Amino acid sequence: MELAYPVGLVVVAASIIIGFTALVREKDDLHRILLTDLAEVLALVLIALVATDLAEALILPGLVVGISELMAVSEVYIAKEGLRAPEGPAFRIEVMDSAPGILALILVAYGIVLSGFTGGAIAAVGAVFYFMCRGHTEQFELIETVSGYAWAFWIGAFFIFMFLPAYWFFAVMIAGGAILLKVMAKMSLVGTMRRGGPDV
Amino acid sequence: MPVTPEFVLGCIILIIGVIAAGFPRPTTYLSRLISLEIPGFGLLLIMLAYDEMLALLTFVGVTAISTFVLVRAIERKEAAP
Repeated sequence: MELAYPVGLVVVAASIIIGFTALVREKDDLHRILLTDLAEVLALVLIALVATDLAEALILPGLVVGISELMAVSEVYIAKEGLRAPEGPAFRIEVMDSAPGILALILVAYGIVLSGFTGGAIAAVGAVFYFMCRGHTEQFELIETVSGYAWAFWIGAFFIFMFLPAYWFFAVMIAGGAILLKVMAKMSLVGTMRRGGPDV
Repeated sequence: MPVTPEFVLGCIILIIGVIAAGFPRPTTYLSRLISLEIPGFGLLLIMLAYDEMLALLTFVGVTAISTFVLVRAIERKEAAP
């Protein structure tokens, strides 16, 4: 800790100066959105240098806020410029027909083993990849319902923590499983953005 | 904690990546998007040096989704006349 932390701080300070110089000199809006992603990475390095469990607890919400901010800004940009989906046939690659099944299965299984927020994110990547490659026909009301029940279970687990602390392990299991379902259901909706369902 | 090789490598890759992403040589959207992966890798190495496993895995997952979101915006921008 005695040497690594100051060295890391100097490196991050230099990176921030370079990154924001690039951001100031850039005129194009989409380039600026890309550089916002760079600024997010630099902020996460700054938090990671704390090097305790606190850093980990701060990075997770930082990532969530970063991805939702990026999605919102890119949506606003697309709406402001009046951009449309490209015409013509969809982009076809052979791997996109054969890979999604097995890859999504591996990612979702690994996500369930991890459980909690991280597991939800990993499983969601599998679901996003599957929806992106194969298209989607399922009802979104079902996903929304599952997500709502998962949230209720999550809150219920916190009540167990408060009123029946003896059963903490049971509550940990409920909370881990519920947040897995919740994050996965919400993030897998991202995968449906490409093929233009009625809700997009 | 002593300075580990992962930490040193992560710092070097971070600086290189910030320069590469800040001033890409052909200034196109795609080259900047690809260069953005380099500082991300530096961040991963720094997290690895500090044993932040949960943060590392979540960052990998979220980066895949954010790349997808950015590609969607770039695709529409390039298709516009």
